[in-house]
Amino acid sequence: MDDLEFRRIIYADPDCDDQQLLETAQKDSAKQQFWSDIRKTNASLKKALEVSIPDDLAHKLILRQTIETHNKQTRRNRLFFSLAASITLVVGLSFTLWQQPSYIDLSVQSLAHVYHEGPHALQANENFTLQQVNAKLAQYGGHLSSNIGQVYYANDCEFEKVKSLHIVMQGENSKVTVFVVPNIKGYKTQDNLTDGFLTAESLELKNTRLVVVGENTQDVELIRSKLKQQMLFTA
Amino acid sequence: MNMRNKFKQATVSSDMLNKQKRYETLVYALHGDIYRYAYWLVKNKAVAEDIVQETFLRAWKSLDSLKDEKAAKSWLITILRRENARRFERKQFNLVDLDDVAIADDHLANEVEIEHRELRNIMSGLNEEYREPLMLQVMFGYSGEEIAEQLNLNKNTVMTRLFRARNQIKETLAKSNDNRGRKNG
Repeated sequence: MDDLEFRRIIYADPDCDDQQLLETAQKDSAKQQFWSDIRKTNASLKKALEVSIPDDLAHKLILRQTIETHNKQTRRNRLFFSLAASITLVVGLSFTLWQQPSYIDLSVQSLAHVYHEGPHALQANENFTLQQVNAKLAQYGGHLSSNIGQVYYANDCEFEKVKSLHIVMQGENSKVTVFVVPNIKGYKTQDNLTDGFLTAESLELKNTRLVVVGENTQDVELIRSKLKQQMLFTA
Repeated sequence: MNMRNKFKQATVSSDMLNKQKRYETLVYALHGDIYRYAYWLVKNKAVAEDIVQETFLRAWKSLDSLKDEKAAKSWLITILRRENARRFERKQFNLVDLDDVAIADDHLANEVEIEHRELRNIMSGLNEEYREPLMLQVMFGYSGEEIAEQLNLNKNTVMTRLFRARNQIKETLAKSNDNRGRKNG
């Protein structure tokens, strides 16, 4: 092993315990001196570099990590909490909406129903006899004592999931729609409702509500008062 | 289903416990070495402590990627060097060089202490590219090859740097011995 190679190895790895290296050093005192100088310097350097470690560094490191983990968990818990809160809110809201039918305003519904149904009922041009109308009314426990004018249309319809009777009859000047709705608890009506085009007036007879809808307010009032007198309900 | 969930939860928490144990072992075994390395890398106690904190925090986050405990030290050094580099990306600190400040030293100023102080001064005066390979050799007993791997350098480059570092130390020591001799004489 030549001098250069020997030095290269020592520089790279002063603690090397290669057999060949040891033998080379033993044969040459200068090489041995060089090696031992390097090792001595290294030992001194190692001692010199031993700066003191801050007190409790290890504890600080563990504490920092614990706090980090805790924060992460808290964040996750907070996420779960807000998720749960959102779900509760949605469930609460849908429950409230579910309950909504009990607050349904029959007057408003009636107007909407007429608009929605359009010409189908209003342009019907049949002529129901008193008996035919009474046969329909019987299902609702009602009865017309006498003829109240031409009835163009009289059919069952669904009124917010409640089976009701939809009648179109002749007023003085125009056609008027009458809804006969069984009185479901929680439904409400307004005595008088107008949207500027249609007018709805309601009437409560025993256990049934009547809503009269028409363009002509006078006709609506006329029919309403006629019904009040002539339509009789048993229950 | 419930049983399975419970089992899963138990496994998860025992995994967490294992991870925690591993981490604590790592901290106790290596925080000294890592701190010293950081200190000699940045030559400032406060900054060194900060970097060590960041290093171990990052180590915790990716502890699962450490497969071989024997490689832990070099793994941590790699993280530490990256954290140090990141510090420079963020902001260039004004560091006080060690040789500008007197190192607090309560020990008796005997011959050995004087020598150590001198060596510390020389070490901190070394260029970082010379200082780091020498630190790895002196402090951790890394071989040339291991240093090359750790610092991601060619082995010949490492050899050259080690050689120059050692030469600089020798020269500086000789110079100061001359000075001392002159002063004393």
